[in-house]
Amino acid sequence: MTRALVTHADEPIGRRVVKRLFHDDRIDAIFALGDGPPPRAFDRFLAAGGPEVTYARVDLARHRSASDFFHSARFRAAEIDTVVHLPRHAPAADVSAPLAGGLSERTAEARLVVQHCLESTSVTSLVALGSAYVYRLHPGNANRLTETSELDLDPGVAPEIRSWIDADMIVHGEVHGDRLRVVLLRTPTVVAAGGFVYLNPALSPRSPRARVLGFDPICSVISDKDVAGAVLAAVCSRRSGIYNIAGREAVPLSVLARWTGHRTLPLPHTLLSWAGTGARWVGLGGRPFPGGDALRYGFTLDTRRAEHDLGFRPGDRIGLARAGDGTLRLETAASA
Amino acid sequence: MNDPRPRAELPKVFELDRDPFLDDGLPDPVAARLDALERPGTRAIRRAARRPAAPQPGPRAHAPRPRPAPRPRATPALGEVELSPDPDLWDRLLPDRARRALASISHLVEGEGPFDRFGFSPEVARRTLPWFVALYRFWFRVQSSGHEHLPERGKAILAANHAGLLPFDGAMAVLDVLLHTDPPRLPRAIVDRWAGELPFVNVFYARVGQVVGTRENFADLLDDEQLVLVFPEGVDGIRKTIAQRYRLQGFRVGFVEQALRARAPIVPMAVVGSEDQAPILYDVKPLARALGLPVAPLTPTFPWLGPLGLLPYPVRYRIVYGEPLAFHERFGPEGADDARLVDYLARQVRSAVQKLIDRERT
Repeated sequence: MTRALVTHADEPIGRRVVKRLFHDDRIDAIFALGDGPPPRAFDRFLAAGGPEVTYARVDLARHRSASDFFHSARFRAAEIDTVVHLPRHAPAADVSAPLAGGLSERTAEARLVVQHCLESTSVTSLVALGSAYVYRLHPGNANRLTETSELDLDPGVAPEIRSWIDADMIVHGEVHGDRLRVVLLRTPTVVAAGGFVYLNPALSPRSPRARVLGFDPICSVISDKDVAGAVLAAVCSRRSGIYNIAGREAVPLSVLARWTGHRTLPLPHTLLSWAGTGARWVGLGGRPFPGGDALRYGFTLDTRRAEHDLGFRPGDRIGLARAGDGTLRLETAASA
Repeated sequence: MNDPRPRAELPKVFELDRDPFLDDGLPDPVAARLDALERPGTRAIRRAARRPAAPQPGPRAHAPRPRPAPRPRATPALGEVELSPDPDLWDRLLPDRARRALASISHLVEGEGPFDRFGFSPEVARRTLPWFVALYRFWFRVQSSGHEHLPERGKAILAANHAGLLPFDGAMAVLDVLLHTDPPRLPRAIVDRWAGELPFVNVFYARVGQVVGTRENFADLLDDEQLVLVFPEGVDGIRKTIAQRYRLQGFRVGFVEQALRARAPIVPMAVVGSEDQAPILYDVKPLARALGLPVAPLTPTFPWLGPLGLLPYPVRYRIVYGEPLAFHERFGPEGADDARLVDYLARQVRSAVQKLIDRERT
């Protein structure tokens, strides 16, 4: 039986993962961490039978807060053996507090989580969710990227992408270690019923809604339920490694923006680059300004390794369906 | 958008290619989708797709990277496709055969999305096809022969000569294959990487089924049992001046390597007429380098007439397909590792294409 800790469990993907773990027989207990108060969706998990669910508020990007938690009696008593580290995709609650080592929030979190997993005596597995936008994109990139495709190590890469790459490399560094079993899942754009979209640099809630004029890159998409399924497969697997996960559908960025209700303004690439530079000059560097090759060159993911090793298969179809009020909305539905 | 039917009667179906926020006044998308689902042709496609795949050759001695098992996919014949009795404007602009061909190849798009993973959209193809069919029939008046050499199903590579400032030869070749095969086949043309950098052009190419030429993409297409169209002359083909027309430039060899690895036959193909559509009098190479373009041509009409000068002359196209060259049967996939052999085989293909051109011109 597995006792799992889930970070950012109060965010949409985290809630979905907790729900999936809760309903699986192989999970004995779930320790959910979040920035805010426990989501209302957790009420029945906290009250009902089944796996024991505990919720705690911890800011994992701050060294003191993370250290206090991982050295607490509460954490030791929980006897966590698997940590599921999910990325933050919403703005931090308290942006004024200093970050660990001057790193971005996402990078700092990844560093601290990996460090504490290595130090903890009970933790034996780490499952981390990363972004597939870490791959290097250029006019001649392959349509289908594998886990061994080149990462984008260009120093000029957008800060948002940079933080994903840094976090990815921190986790990647432990994949072949002896101390922990590490699974890194690289996911493309995550969509959820109702038109919600996560982990897409062009459709980030913090970035201006712009895309590059004359380009419409193909975006691989995956439903949040399939992400939760992949996390569960990784938790229960004995495998270690890096895995691409993706759904069956791929749609252009403009279509994805329409489906999810994110109006984007097409602007010439040069203008976008200037705007990004200008934003950094006037001190708006913390806001991820859309730019870079992710807005011009598309990709899909080769998921054969995840299918073979983890048994992951996307089970959801993604498309538009008529909602209760008569409008058309992005929906995910289980395949027949 | 309000639907007059009670909600309970509306089955939960997906509408995929419509803007949910701009569809006021348009027909009910769910009903349209239902119509599409109920087309007999769609059932035929599904039934055909469930057929088992053709047996593959024995295990490969040489396997440079793991390849997925080909999906069981079969295109229905034209006779199996039934067209919608209520065609829209775009459908009415197309001949019946072209409509059937488009319906047949719609299975290339997997899942629920209206695009395949390379960005091909049957809907965009449906809207652009009437223009290209008009060019095919009335502007270039294409005549073609040798269709019996095109494989009915399974992977294959079409290798053709390349010319003309704008790639109308590619468009006409794709259309000719689509309109003269039954079951219809859509050749996926491999385009140069610089085309992926051109705004708007890259999107159009992707939507009509063309693919940026990388080794991985090429291998993926062959793994998918698709027909791949290559122009092994590359940009040297479109740089040819009027004095060099119909004299093939050096062939790239990557397509031979891919053919050997994937055990795919190569079908030589000649497009006669394309080299007369925009004869280049002089290529201003320093200007091309400065602008980052493959060619800066002077033709009898360009740049003197401005963008109008890029229009191809209404020359007659003749497209000929040669006998397939099954190099893989003799040399096997391990032959792909022999650079001299690959180079030699590429020259054999070049010679076959040149012979077709010479035969057709005389």
